[in-house]
This record gives sequence, structure tokens and C-alpha cells, in this order.
Amino acid sequence: MTDRSVAVTGLGLVTAAGLGTDATWEGVLRGESAGARDDRLAGLPVDIACAVPGLVPARHVDRRSVLIHDRFVQLAIVAAREAVADAGLDPRTWDGARVGVVVGCGLGGVSTWETQHRRLLERGPEAVSALLVPMLVPNMAAGHLAMDLRALGPNLVTATACASGGTALGTAARLLQDGTCDIVVAGGSEAGVSPLMVTGFAQMGALSRRTEEPAAASRPFDADRDGFVIGEGSGMLVLERTADAEARGATVRARLVGHGASADAHHVTAPDPEGAGALRAMEAALGQAGVSGRDIDHVNAHGTSTPLNDAVEAAVLGRLLGDGATVTSTKGVLGHTLGAAGAIEAALTVLCVERSTVPPTANLRRQDPAVELDVVAGAPREQKVELAMSNSFGFGGQNAVLVFASP
Amino acid sequence: MSTTYDRLVDLLVDGFAVDRAAIRPDVTFEELEMDSLFLVELLLVIQSEFGVKISDDAAVPTDTIAHAVALVDNETAAPAS
Repeated sequence: MTDRSVAVTGLGLVTAAGLGTDATWEGVLRGESAGARDDRLAGLPVDIACAVPGLVPARHVDRRSVLIHDRFVQLAIVAAREAVADAGLDPRTWDGARVGVVVGCGLGGVSTWETQHRRLLERGPEAVSALLVPMLVPNMAAGHLAMDLRALGPNLVTATACASGGTALGTAARLLQDGTCDIVVAGGSEAGVSPLMVTGFAQMGALSRRTEEPAAASRPFDADRDGFVIGEGSGMLVLERTADAEARGATVRARLVGHGASADAHHVTAPDPEGAGALRAMEAALGQAGVSGRDIDHVNAHGTSTPLNDAVEAAVLGRLLGDGATVTSTKGVLGHTLGAAGAIEAALTVLCVERSTVPPTANLRRQDPAVELDVVAGAPREQKVELAMSNSFGFGGQNAVLVFASP
Repeated sequence: MSTTYDRLVDLLVDGFAVDRAAIRPDVTFEELEMDSLFLVELLLVIQSEFGVKISDDAAVPTDTIAHAVALVDNETAAPAS
């Protein structure tokens, strides 16, 4: 096999900007943050989030969905169905044994966990649901997709915290490159907007405290950024070997030409101050793609809006990128969806390549003077994007970087 | 029909998204697409709703609604002391 590239033939997105790829793309192009007060967090010091609007499980998933699916699974199913249909594939006729599923998920069914734990404490063991375990374990995102899509090949969940979605796509590419699968439905899903999780992130100082102006709180690369806004959602991509996709006449949206991973081995939550781990992952992805940082036209940054991440990431990108490269962080609009972020942003990077348009970074009003990058702000920018990079860095120092090329 | 039956029908409709029109005393849980995991959950809910003690293997998917009603009625009819 000479061409080891992997084609992206389908996209599915469920985000705070709406249900579906079109709604999400239009939302990120508008550049208005979805940050808002969230009823699920009422009474907590940080009570804002970027929530997915309008998901009705009985209508969008299955009439019994609320009984068996935690929200992170519901989001995954909706996104995956869209991606498979978008790829022009029909699970009723495909050779399911050759179809794999790889889903990134950092937390799993934390809302279910909290609800049932409360029942245990308040009403005793008899009140705990028999469905607790199958609803909360994170591997159910992939397990339910297998059942929903009749995908009978390798089926797994990757957990590298906020890099999980990127790790899933890199893992999926390997399953195609080594011939294990012909099709992989890969992405990420997360629904971590729960009182305990948000409180945990708040207690460690990771979240923005700008609760009085929730739509201005997520502001990647801005001088006044003070933390991330938690989001929820799912991004799913259908991947195939490029030659196979072309042979069946599928539309190749973009090609995944490189994926790199690394560990900081530095600190539980803080990035390596020199960004050495992030740089290693970027260099690995670029090396696999056979290109240099100077060739990259555009980067969808991890860009969480935390003081530390954005500073370190910007410094590394400043050393790596050439003139003319643009950078954006779609977390300004969508918040930080943790284990789903890498996949949602990969899908948006594919759209940048396909549509020659870079979405703006929401709330970037006064760029941090230490960030010496062309960060797109205010309005979308028309740009021919032939090579683009998508960064994801997780707590624990786990890094995943993807490089996409035009078909 | 007994009160137990009516309350059980409400539980199935409200808690398990079963179609009310499909429920009859002689229909089985299997026919209502209630698999073994759902049935274990239903027995837990029944115990909590009716205040009775039923073992988690007292009903299987091939049992009927009438069987479940009898389980509850036998328990509630038992002497309290």
C-alpha cells in the first residue's frame, strides 16, 4: 500500500451550537459563545456551561433511550448516525465485521453516577437502579454504537482526558492502515455538565469565574481569559482508506495524513512549561504526514481559555508555524467538551479544509501580547487551507495531534 | 381489573415507555420488549412503589403481566405480622 492516508467521508456533530453538522458550522462561523447559565448547576459557584440545546432522546435516539442511555451515549448515537448517513453508507447492507468503532470519552456517565449515588445515600441500596452500571461505564458509547449501527469489528473507547477524541481518531487510522477494518466510525462524546464534575473542575481552578457574563467567559488567547467553560457534545467521523473511499465513489471531505501522540510526564494537570510534550506530538504528526510546521496553513488549537494552556500552546505554535498560518479555537463558541473536544474540532478542521473558511475565536477582543500568532477573531476568514492541524492536550499530560490535508 | 394491575400499567407506561394499548393481563414482558435487565429494574421499582419484597428472579421475560400482579397481590395479602 503506497497511499497510507485515511479519508474522512462522513461527519456528524452534536454541540452547543445545535444538532447536526450544519447547525454547528453555522454556529462557529457566527462566533457567538454558547456559554449560558445552566439549570443543572443551579446554586453552585460556577453555574455556566455550553449545553447541547433541544436534544429529545425519545425522538432523536429511541423511545426507551432515557432508560438505558446516559446523555454521553445519546449524543454519540445522534452524531454517529449523522456521520454514517453523510458518508452515504447503510449499516443494513455493509459488512459489519469489517466496521470498527473508536470513541473518545474522558468521564462516562457521571450524571447517572451522581443521581444513583444520591439515591443510595437518601433511600438505601434498594433504590439503586439495576441499569446504573450499563449506563455509566464509558465504554458504552462504543458498545451502543455497535448495536445501533451493526458495527461488529473492534469496538473500543479511548480515555486520554481532553485528548480522548484525538486519540480515538489516531487509533482508528491505525485500524485502517493495518488492514484490521475497512470502515471505522470514530470520534468522541462527553456529557460532563453535572454538579459534582463542574464543582471538581472549579475547585482545581480550571473554570472561568466570569459567571455574570457567561457568553463572554470562554475567551481563548484573550489577555483577560481566566479558565474554560465546560461544554458537552459529540463529534463523529467516518474514516476509510482513501483508495477504498475513491473506489466506491464516496466524497472525500479531507484526508487524515498524520497523527501523533505523546506524554508530558511532567505534572498531573499543568502542561510542561516549555510545551515539550505538545511539540513532540505535533512533530510526530507532521513527520507522519511528511511535512513541516512551515507547511501548515491552519491550526484548530486546543485553546481552552485557561491562562496556562493557551500561553504554552501559543509559544510552541509560534516556533513551529510559518508566516501566513492562521489559528483558531472553536472552544470560544462551544466551550470545552473534554473527551469529545478532539473529535468535534477534527470535524471542524475538515470543514475548514473543505470550505476554505476559518471560523473566528469567540470573545477574542484583546489578544494576549504573549500570543504571537495570527488568531482569527471577529469574523470568519476566507483562506485556502490545504494542510491543517488539530491539537488536543489532556490532563495527565496526554497529547494527540492530527494533520488533515485537502483531498 | 385490580388496582395493582392499573398501577402496574402506569409504571410500565410512565417508567418504561411501554405502549399502553399493548398491555393486557395475558401479554408477556418479552412481547412488550422488556428484556431481563428491564425486568430486574421493574421488580426493583415495584418493590419500592408497592412496598413489597420480591426476589429479583421472581419473574422472567416469558411471564405475563398477570403473573407480576399476582406476585404483588400475594405479598400484600400476606399477614403483616
